[in-house]
Parts: sequence; C-alpha cells; structure tokens
Amino acid sequence: MEIDLAQLRDMHPRLPVDVALSIVGRAALALERNGHASGVRLSLYAERIATNALLFWPPADMGNIDRHDRNRITEDGAEAVALAAAHRHRAWRVIRRMQREEHADWLLEDMGERGRRVVALEVSGVDRGSIGTRLSDKLAQVTKSVDVDQRWAGVVGFEKPAVALHRTKRGKRGE
Amino acid sequence: MRFIGRNEGSVESDTLNTLVTAAIWRAEQLEALGLPSSSAWAEVSSFEENLANALPVTEREGRIARRGAVHAALKAGDYGRAETLARGYAGEDSAPRSIKSALRQILEEDARAMANRFPYASKRHSPREARDLARHFREAGPFGLAA
Repeated sequence: MEIDLAQLRDMHPRLPVDVALSIVGRAALALERNGHASGVRLSLYAERIATNALLFWPPADMGNIDRHDRNRITEDGAEAVALAAAHRHRAWRVIRRMQREEHADWLLEDMGERGRRVVALEVSGVDRGSIGTRLSDKLAQVTKSVDVDQRWAGVVGFEKPAVALHRTKRGKRGE
Repeated sequence: MRFIGRNEGSVESDTLNTLVTAAIWRAEQLEALGLPSSSAWAEVSSFEENLANALPVTEREGRIARRGAVHAALKAGDYGRAETLARGYAGEDSAPRSIKSALRQILEEDARAMANRFPYASKRHSPREARDLARHFREAGPFGLAA
C-alpha cells in the first residue's frame, strides 16, 4: 500500500486548500527532522491489525523549520498522516473540522453498505517515543463526542513512522 | 428559515463545511501563536450559524453546527450573541431535549468559568451583570463618551 500526502485533497475534497498545504508541509517537516526521506515505511495499526505502507510526501523546506512552532509541526503533521491513512484504510472523507468542545478534531463520512455514517476522529502526534499512551488518552477524549456513529482516535509517531487508528466502543449516544 | 435536503443542498453544505473548517483552523492557529483570536472566532460562529440554517436540528450535523455557533460566539467574547443563538435553537419546534440541555449547559459552563476567573467580582455581580458592564465599557470606550 502507498500513501502519498500530495494527494490529500483528492482524498478529502472538502479540506480547504490552505489547510491541506499547511498540514502536509508540517508533516514533511516532522518526518524529515527525524531523518526520514519520502518513501519511508509506515507502520499502520488499525484496530489491532498491523500492516505496512510506503509514505510519500512533497519535499520539506527545512531551511524554514525555525519559523514553525515545534509542537505545531508534530500536531499538524499528524493531522495530515492520520487523515491520509484513514482514507486509505477506510475510504473516509472529511466533512468538517470540529471545535475542541466536540472532543474530536474531525468529522468524517463513511459511505459504506449501510449508508452514510459519520465518524468523529481525534488526532495527535508524537515526535519521539511510543504512541501507545497517547492513544489511550485520545480514545478517552473522543468517547465524549456526541451525535456521531463512531468514535476513533488516530495517533501518529514520527521517530519510527507509525500511525494507529483505533475505535472506541464506548460513547455517548446522540439523538 | 429554509432547510436544504441532503442531495439538494449538498453543494451548499459542502461549501459551508469547507468554510467553517478553514475558519476554525485560522482561529486555532492564532490561539496557538498567542495572538488575538476573537474576530476569528466570530467568523467561525457566523459560518456555524449559516450551517445551522442549512441543516435541520433533527440532523446530527445540524446539532453540531448549533453547538458550534454558540461555542464560537463565547470564544469571540460575544455573550449576547451566544445567548440569543442558544435561545433561538432551543426554541425550534423539532429541537430534541438533548440539544436544549446541551445549549443550556454551554452557557452555564461559561458562566462558571467566568466566576472562577473573577472570583471577587462574581461575589457582587451575576455573570450576566458582569457581562453587561463589560459590554457597556467596551462600547463606551475609554472615556465613556460613546452612547
């Protein structure tokens, strides 16, 4: 499987151009500052099933990395990788960004056999170290999201490129 | 108020979803940089209100937009707008109990947060009085010369 961040807007047509450019640019910075080159192997853990993908991205402008906040590179870069992985894995598309009070970053649609279902996705990034603990935190957060069919958390690690997408079975019911 | 159907209005709601996404992104980036973000949140509230006008309260995305319009108005510092929107949405004929309760809770939580920020003032004024005073001083300007 290949995931090309340059195709992010083809995967998510409702994503504004400036947002897509910003998060893809920061993903490139987060990956390259960890010494990775486009075409790196990405470990994908989706609902406890591990697969590998090759991750591609447009070249980063490392000369300007000091103009970006370090944490924003990690967090915004994670949004690009998680959204691309969610599309490749589940064919989900972005509906809209959510405000933080909704306990999720993105509302996505899943056009499955059972019709249109909406998914809340909370995303986070880890520059160094394991993604396991962060995933638990984010699952606890997205559990509080209401008015959605499914609640998922996505955590992206940049040291050893990895993305975990996990669904929480618990959650509040919408009407 | 005219609601649009899923197919009929999908282009309109798609456009509004893209606009609200871009607006939320801008407001979040300003906040992350520690820059003033009130006007950016006011813009978010406006797009959320447009989405709420396009999507009925019986649809989940319509309820998300209604809560979003109120939340963003509060983050813009416009309590009057938040209260007016919340009252209007709670009064919609087909509004489920869950959204009425959620809207009431949003305003109550904001009032509690304000009381915690200003404990001395909160002993003497209700949150509404404090906001009315703040709005008066903001509108009157530094020398109280405006009407």
